[in-house]
Amino acid sequence: MSESVAMPTRPAAMPEAVKAALEVLERQLNQPLQTALEVCARCGLCAEACHYYRAEPSLEHVPAFRGEALRRVYRREHDFLSRLFPWWTRARRLDEQTLAQMAEMAFSQCTLCRRCTFNCPLGVDTPLMMRAIRAMATAAGHAPEILVMLADAAIEQGRDPEMYREGFLENIRGLEQELRKITGDPDARIPVEEQGAKVLYVPLAGAHSILPPAIIFHQARESWTLSLFQAANYGAFLGDVQRAKAIAKRIVDEAKRLGVQEIVLAECGHAYSVYRWEAPNWFGSDYAFRVRSIVEVMAEYIAGGRITLDPSANLKAITYHDSCNLARGAGLIEEPRLVLRAAAQEIREMTPNREQGFCCGGGGGLVALLEYEERRLRAGKPKADQIRETGARVVVAACENCRLQIGELNTRYALGIEVSSLADLVVRAMRLPGAVKQEAQDEPVERVPVPA
Amino acid sequence: MDVLLITRIAALIGLIVAVLGLALRWGETMSRPAPVDCAPVRGVPARGVFYAFTLGMAPWTKESTRLHVGAYLRGVGLHVGIFAGLAATAASPYWAAMPPALRGGVALVLAISALLGVAGSVMRLREPHLRALSTADDHVSILLVTLFLAAGALALWQPRFAPLLYLTAGVMLAYIPLGKTRHCMYFFLARGSFGRFIGRRGVLPPATPLVARRIR
Repeated sequence: MSESVAMPTRPAAMPEAVKAALEVLERQLNQPLQTALEVCARCGLCAEACHYYRAEPSLEHVPAFRGEALRRVYRREHDFLSRLFPWWTRARRLDEQTLAQMAEMAFSQCTLCRRCTFNCPLGVDTPLMMRAIRAMATAAGHAPEILVMLADAAIEQGRDPEMYREGFLENIRGLEQELRKITGDPDARIPVEEQGAKVLYVPLAGAHSILPPAIIFHQARESWTLSLFQAANYGAFLGDVQRAKAIAKRIVDEAKRLGVQEIVLAECGHAYSVYRWEAPNWFGSDYAFRVRSIVEVMAEYIAGGRITLDPSANLKAITYHDSCNLARGAGLIEEPRLVLRAAAQEIREMTPNREQGFCCGGGGGLVALLEYEERRLRAGKPKADQIRETGARVVVAACENCRLQIGELNTRYALGIEVSSLADLVVRAMRLPGAVKQEAQDEPVERVPVPA
Repeated sequence: MDVLLITRIAALIGLIVAVLGLALRWGETMSRPAPVDCAPVRGVPARGVFYAFTLGMAPWTKESTRLHVGAYLRGVGLHVGIFAGLAATAASPYWAAMPPALRGGVALVLAISALLGVAGSVMRLREPHLRALSTADDHVSILLVTLFLAAGALALWQPRFAPLLYLTAGVMLAYIPLGKTRHCMYFFLARGSFGRFIGRRGVLPPATPLVARRIR
């Protein structure tokens, strides 16, 4: 459909940014998005589902209110009555100021956690609308600079991995020494980009997401190899499918080149969402391998007896935080609990939990946006309260961004907890000969350096 | 032409506008791309859809409806009344043959639903966040529905009010494709889409019977 047909008449001097944003809206306006824009009855029942609203019950934190921001623009472009009488539905023409406000809202006041959708009697997909706004803002140059920079850096890394390979391999050689000490096996290895391996493990930035899975793979005698790239995909946070696809392509190409049967992802919520659920739609038949989270793999190893754990190695009371992307977004709900039950003595559930759990406030790329740090920590209060109520001393989360956020909530709300990954817990429960050092991992995780 | 006939024609025109308008909207939405899901499923999509339209609608399965059980049940009651009212309007030529108790029962349902409509309007006007969220379209939509329900209750009680029922039905029906009440069509798409999502990804329904799980 040509633009002159799709769009109503507008002032000739429409700013380029607004034009770009509206073009993105038109491209994104598929059946689910139009449904989300049309179906809301503005009943307001979604309010308390949002952790922002729970923390600060103001109108701007009601999911339906956020959705209205895009609906007003949509109605002005597409609704017969709203074009004739904009005041009837509060329809409004998009301008640069409105676009900037919408961008700020979508990037700083919504973590795309889907809790509102699960609690809406109609099933309004507000996160879908927020992603559309993010995409519009990105096209119009209103997206947070750091997310754009990180996404572009990842794409660049894929274009020329040689620049980065040597330094990476050197670091891995150091980790390999540690692996040998911990496992007591002088032949233990961390294979990198090895042809013929069954599993390609894709880590995050930092040794903490490489060493524990390496230990687990070694103990399970898995045929595996480490990816040169990281699982994080900042293109997804931008709502920018082209960037997200370009970032994913590095790993897809690597998996094809190595001939692996399976990609296993580090404990990362959004990466799982991207590679497990979105990427198959972008690559079609080129995506001929299974994708799992290390959480599922650990659960399989435990259930199949490939690794044995001693729960008495983790005596402190533990609570599990369900990452929104893994639980509500992907159904990875019982697998982490199976792992926890095998690896720890005392598990205390938060209330609510599983697909009804609260977002920690760090999702949707918020953890990377330092300009919204204060807002993010305030929005994390419901999660902090949930954690405190359990009385647990350790919070386990299978998502890096959640762990970073909970670590910061720990400081802000004086929770007195330790934050751990699932893999760290499992390694501790393996009672390996050289695992004394693992005690150090009781420390809350620090902000990992941003990949170059 | 008498008033009854004129208002019946008005109701019929309203129905035609509603059906054609919704058909146009349906066609417009269906002409847009549907997302392709190539990822292997974790659960059963059909189970998710079934859950979304059945147990997933129960007030105890969602925190939001547990917290606002009154508001939710008010909404459910209003919608039950709307469908009862439409059925009663369609059956109006045969009212004389209906047992008086049934007629009285339907009138009572419509009257209660009309009161629930009034309560909805009052809530929209009184509750600060709801008032700020509401547009003229929201207020008019609930007003039209409430008037239709009240007219239905009156007409079932006293047939001389039948022209009022037909008139309000005509206006309400004609407004459906234009205003917020068209969510009656998008409801099915939204819940269906939600159901497919939770079913495909194995999020819901829960693997164990709901009664066996503690409310969480």
